[in-house]
Amino acid sequence: MSLPKFTYCEPKTLEEAALKLAEYDGRARIVAGGTDLLLGMRRGIAKPEVVISLARIAGANAIVASATELRIGAMATLAEVAQHPLVQQHFPALACAAAVTGTVQIRNMGTVVGNICNASPSADTATPLLIYDAKMIVVAPGGERTVALAEFFRGPGKTALTQGELVKEIVLKLPSGTTRSNYQKLSPRSKVDIAIVGVSALLAFSETGAIRRARIAIGSVAPVPKRALEAENMLEGCQLTPEVIAAVAAVAAKEAAPITDMRASEDYRRSMVAVLTRRALQQNQREQQ
Amino acid sequence: MSQNNSAMKVVGQSIPRIDAPIKATGKARYTGDMKLPGMLYGKMLFSSVPHASIVRIDVSKALALPGVKDVIVGKDTPGIKFGNWRLFPATQDELPLAIDKVRFIGDAVAAVAAISQDIADEAIGLIEVEYAPLPAVYTIEDSLAAGAPLIHDENKELTNNISLDRKIDVGDVDAAFATADYVREDTVFVHAVSHAYMEPCAVLVEPDTEGRLTIWTSTQTPYIVQCLLASTLAIPENHVRVVKPYIGGGFGGKMELRPWDFCASLLARRTGRPVRFVLTRVEEFEVGRRRHGMKIRSKVAFKKDGTLIAKDFEAYLDGGAYNSMGPTATFLCGNFGAMLYRYPNYRYRGHHVYTNKPPAGAMRGFGAPQALYLSETQMNIAAEELGIDPIELRLKNAMVTGDVIEGVTRISSAGFVESLHKVAEMTNWKEKRASLAPNKGIGIGCYSFISGGVFNWFNTQYNFASCEIRAYSDGTAHLLTMAADIGQGSDTVLRQIMAQDLGLDPEQIRLTAADVTMTPKADLGTWGSRVTLMNGNAVLDATQKMRAELAKMVSLRFNLNVIHEVAFADGRVFAKAQPAKGISFGEAVTMWVKANRGEELVVRGHYTPRDLGLTSPAYSFGAQVAEVEVDPETGVVTVEKVSTAHDCGTVINPLAVEGQLEGAIQMGLGYALCEQFVMRDGKTLNTTFLDYKVPAAEDMPAIASAAIETYEPQGPLGAKEAGEGLAIPTAPAVSDAVWHATGYRCKDLPITPEKILRATGKL
Repeated sequence: MSLPKFTYCEPKTLEEAALKLAEYDGRARIVAGGTDLLLGMRRGIAKPEVVISLARIAGANAIVASATELRIGAMATLAEVAQHPLVQQHFPALACAAAVTGTVQIRNMGTVVGNICNASPSADTATPLLIYDAKMIVVAPGGERTVALAEFFRGPGKTALTQGELVKEIVLKLPSGTTRSNYQKLSPRSKVDIAIVGVSALLAFSETGAIRRARIAIGSVAPVPKRALEAENMLEGCQLTPEVIAAVAAVAAKEAAPITDMRASEDYRRSMVAVLTRRALQQNQREQQ
Repeated sequence: MSQNNSAMKVVGQSIPRIDAPIKATGKARYTGDMKLPGMLYGKMLFSSVPHASIVRIDVSKALALPGVKDVIVGKDTPGIKFGNWRLFPATQDELPLAIDKVRFIGDAVAAVAAISQDIADEAIGLIEVEYAPLPAVYTIEDSLAAGAPLIHDENKELTNNISLDRKIDVGDVDAAFATADYVREDTVFVHAVSHAYMEPCAVLVEPDTEGRLTIWTSTQTPYIVQCLLASTLAIPENHVRVVKPYIGGGFGGKMELRPWDFCASLLARRTGRPVRFVLTRVEEFEVGRRRHGMKIRSKVAFKKDGTLIAKDFEAYLDGGAYNSMGPTATFLCGNFGAMLYRYPNYRYRGHHVYTNKPPAGAMRGFGAPQALYLSETQMNIAAEELGIDPIELRLKNAMVTGDVIEGVTRISSAGFVESLHKVAEMTNWKEKRASLAPNKGIGIGCYSFISGGVFNWFNTQYNFASCEIRAYSDGTAHLLTMAADIGQGSDTVLRQIMAQDLGLDPEQIRLTAADVTMTPKADLGTWGSRVTLMNGNAVLDATQKMRAELAKMVSLRFNLNVIHEVAFADGRVFAKAQPAKGISFGEAVTMWVKANRGEELVVRGHYTPRDLGLTSPAYSFGAQVAEVEVDPETGVVTVEKVSTAHDCGTVINPLAVEGQLEGAIQMGLGYALCEQFVMRDGKTLNTTFLDYKVPAAEDMPAIASAAIETYEPQGPLGAKEAGEGLAIPTAPAVSDAVWHATGYRCKDLPITPEKILRATGKL
C-alpha cells in the first residue's frame, strides 16, 4: 500500500510545532523516527493531513543530565538511549529495553519518546520508564505541564495528550542509594520480535539488605503497560527470600489482564508474567549480592 | 557422454555468484523497478468472501474515476481455465478472473489499469460486487464431511471435495504387517507456511501494434507462463514473449500463471499501453500460494532387530480452493514417503482436498517436508521404543546405490550411509545423545530429494532443458538458455559447467537466460531442484558438440594421429599428450568459421530424461543433527547448532551450496518453530512480517557442514541437487532435539513454547 498524500512541515522550535498541531486540530500528527506512524499510514490506520516533524528542532535529540535528573529529548533515538553511559549506569532496564526494541534499523530511527507516545501495550521502553517513575514534559501553545508516566497511558494507542499537546522530553530522577533494576523480555517466536510479555523490576535496598522501595511494571498483558502495585507493596520492608519472590511473582501474574491474540494465549502470557517477575527479582538480588 | 579430459579447474571452485555485486549494491533491476513510457498501473480486486456466487459486479464508478483507463471482470475474458497439469485437462480448474463463483478470500474478481498507482488503488474501492454467500469449509475434516458444500460443483466427475487421488502399492503390505515384531502408527498434522520470498510478485506487459506481448514477470517458469498465458488469452504461443528479469526468490510460489500476469496482459491488449502490477506484501500473505498443510498417517512394521518390513502411509492434503500444484505434491508426497529407507512393502494413499482457503502450491520440498517430517519423527520414536540408537536404526535400513523401488524409482548414487556416519562423528552424537545437561537436547532428521522430475504433466512437446552455445574468434562464447535463475545461482553454475568443459574462463562466457522467444525451446523452469542436473546436462550436450567441431580444427592444423585425445584448458585446444600441439580457443573458432565459409559456430544441447522410472533421474541424500536448549519455564527453544552431512554428488560450487544450506536451515527453522498462518473463517490474519514470523539473522544457529561427494552418473559432471532437499531435515531434527530435551514429541507443527509447556505440565 502506498503512503496517502499529506503535507509535511518541519518547525524549528517546539512552540512552533505545538502551534501547528493546535492549528490542524486533530488532523495533524507529530513524527519523530516515523517507525510506527508510517506503518500506520500505509495501512490506513493513521490518516493525518499534516505531518509535523521534530527533526529540525535544535537539541530535540539531547540526552542531558543534571545533578539530580536525566532528560531524554523527543528526538533521542532508541540506539542513542541504549548506548548512553548515564542511562546504562543509572537506568539499566531502560538501556536494555531500548537495545532490544525492533531491529538495528528501527533503533537507529525510532525514538524512546515516540515508543511511549505510540502507547502500544507492548512498548519495550514503557515498563522500564514506569519503574523509574518517569515524568513526561508536555508542551502546548499555552505552556508546559508535567504528566507522570503512570498517568500517561490511557488505552491501546491512547495517551493523556490532548489536542495541541506534544511530548518535549522524559525526565528521570537519578537514583539515590543502592538500587538494582532490569528488564525481562519474552519474544518466543524470534529474537527480533514484539514482546509478548515484558517485565521490569526495580529494588532499592537499605543498608540491612531490606527492600526500601520496589517497583514492578508489566507490559503486553493489559490494555496499557502498568505497575503491579500489589506485588510492589508486598516487597517493601521485606528481605528477599525465594518464598517472597514466588509469592510476589504470583501476585504480579494476578494483576495482569492479558488477552489471547495471534501472538500468544492469555494463559501463557499470565503464566509468563510470574516467570519473568521472578527472574527480574532474582537478577536484582544477584546483582545486590 | 564424453567429457573434456582436462582437470577440474572451474567446477569445484567457490566462484562468487555472477549476480552478487549488482544485487548487493541495489542495482539489479526487478520487475517492480521497471517503467515504460505511457505505462499504466494495475491493481487487482480480490474476493473478500470465502465462498459465494457472484450476483452482480458494477464497475461504472471505477471507470468514471478520472485517470482510470480500463477495468476488466470475468465476462471480459475468454473464460478459459488453466493449470500446470495440461496432460489432464480436468485438473485445470482455475480461471484468471472469476466469472460466476468465488472460492476463497483472494479469488481474483476484477482488475483496474490507471495512470497512477493511487488512482488504481482508489478505483478498486469503487467496484461494487454483490455476493450470494455459500457455505464454506476450512478444514480437511469439514470438507470431507457428509453434506459439505461442493467447492467445484462444475466438475461433474467429482462427487466430493477430493480433487485427485494417488496410489502406490509395492509388495504385500498386509502380509508383511502380519509377520512384524513391532508396529508403530502415528498421525501428524503439518501446517501451511508461506514462501515469504523477498520480492512480491510483479509483472509488466508491453503490447505491440499487432497484438503481441512482451512480458517481464517475476516467475520461476517463463515457458509455462508463456504457454498458459497464450491459452487463457486464446492467442498463439508465439505472440507471447516472456522475459525473466532478476527475481527475488520463488521457492515454488512463482511457478504458475497468476491472475495478475493474465490481467496485465489483457489490459495491455485492450488499452494498447504497457501495464504493470506489483503486489503488496499484505496481498502476498492474503492471497499467495503456500505450502500444503497435511494430515498424514503412517504405520510402519519392523523386525525385532530394527529391520523395516512395511509401511502404510496415507496423506490428506489441504489444497485450498484450486488444484494449483497440489496434484504434483500429492504424487511426490507418496514417493518421498518411500524414500531414505528400504521398505520392501509400501502402500500410499494420497488425497488432494479442496477447502475455501488460498490454494496451496509448490514449496521448497514439494510434498517431502511433510512426508519426511512424519517418517523421520516415526524413525526416532521407533528407535526409542526398540532400544536402538536412531542413527544405528537408520544405518540398518538406509538406501544405497542401486536400490530400486518397483514402479517408482531407482537410485543411481546414494551417500546416505556415509552422511549418517559423518554427522555422528561431527557432532559426537553417541556421547551427547546418551548424556546431556538438563534442558539440552540433540536430535536427528534426514532427507532425500529429487534432482528434477521425469514426469511431464505439463505435456510439453519440447526437450526438458535446452541451450545454445555460440563461439567467437576473440575466445569468448555465448550461452543462451531458458533456465531461470531466480536467486538459486544457476547462471553461475551453468557458466561453471560450460567453462569447465570448454576450458574457458567463466568470465569469457556471456549469458542470456530465460527469454522464451530468444533462447532455445524449452525449459520447464526452476522447480523440483531440476536446473543443475537438467540444464547442466543440456550444456554438456552442447559443449560436447562444440568440442567435436573444434577438435577437428586442431587435428587438421597439427596433422594429429587419430589416436590423440584433444583437450580443452586455459583457453586452449590441444593434443592432450602433446600440449604444444594446440591453438587458442579463438583461433580454433576462426579456423572453423573459415572452414565453413563464414558460418557462425553455433551448437545446441538438449536434455530430456528417458526411461528413468517415474520420479527423477537422481536423488540427493543427507543427515542433519540439531542441538537445542529449551527454557523449561517459558518453553522457548534456542537452536544452538545445526550440523549437516549431505550428498549432492559433485559439488560444482561449494560457496553456492553453503548458501543453499544456510537458507534452507533458516526456512526449516521457521517451519519447525515460528511460522504459521493464523486464519479465521478463511481469512488470513497475520499479513505482515510483524506477525508472520520468519527467523531473523539473530535467530540463526551455528552451522557446520560436510559434503559427501558421490558421482552421480545421470548428473552433469556427477552433480545432483542441493536446493530443496536441505530444507527438509531441520524440522524433524529440531523436533527430535526438543523431545530429547523435554520429552515432548511434536505431532502438530509448529513447535511453539505454549505446546511445550502444556505437554510438560507447566501450563
